Amino acid sequence: MAVQPKTLKEAKAVYSTNPELAWWVFMRVSGLLLVFLVFGHVYMNNIAINVAEVDYAYVAERISKPWVKVYDSFLLVFAMLHGMNGLRYSIEDYTHHPGKRFWLKVLLFTVAGIMLVIGVITLWAFSFEEMGDAIRALPEL
Amino acid sequence: MYKGREGQWAFVLHRISGVALALYLLLHVLDISLVMYGPRVFNAFLGFYHQWPFRIGLILVMAAVVYHAFNGLRIILMDFTEWGTRYHRSLWYGVLAITTAVGIPILIKVVPEILRGA
Repeated sequence: MAVQPKTLKEAKAVYSTNPELAWWVFMRVSGLLLVFLVFGHVYMNNIAINVAEVDYAYVAERISKPWVKVYDSFLLVFAMLHGMNGLRYSIEDYTHHPGKRFWLKVLLFTVAGIMLVIGVITLWAFSFEEMGDAIRALPEL
Repeated sequence: MYKGREGQWAFVLHRISGVALALYLLLHVLDISLVMYGPRVFNAFLGFYHQWPFRIGLILVMAAVVYHAFNGLRIILMDFTEWGTRYHRSLWYGVLAITTAVGIPILIKVVPEILRGA
């Protein structure tokens, strides 16, 4: 990936394999979506409030809302795929030894896969709803 | 487009901000997942996280977000319009202007919070 093709026509000509072309298109489509998703996320959690106010109650209450679960799931999946594909481009640009390249990508995809699963578990498999009220009633430490 | 002029700087900044954001994303998923350990562990961890060096780090993350987003839109315009590449330099100065315009209000909001030690 030394030179990035600059138009869709060029991309079609340069990429002999369909997966590379699909990733090229994906980076643009997901990038456009992420502009809105990430700006909204930063606004809600850093601008609308003082981020130093974020505590357990804030995060647990947020994640227990259905629309946050859906919003954050889109954010998580698009950001992870977009970010990890970007790191893959970087690895392919700067490491030329085939073995090193291969193992760096294995490491990258392993870490990304684990983080994706942890993110999905945090959003969907943990019932903050049930614990929320009981935990909020606990005295501050 | 890349001979040490605007196009190359646009690319270098896009690459650096992108790599930084991808690594931050991995860290951020992990830190928020600690909420599953309950209020005692999570609030203790956040107390550590809310110290000023991390808050300055967050300002850098937001700067990377704003630049990467608007330069990404510039890339989309260059790729999918007839005129994008012709005006890529002007577009990049536009990206820098918007990044500054969005960045300054963020600094005005966030820097006093950090100075107050909140």
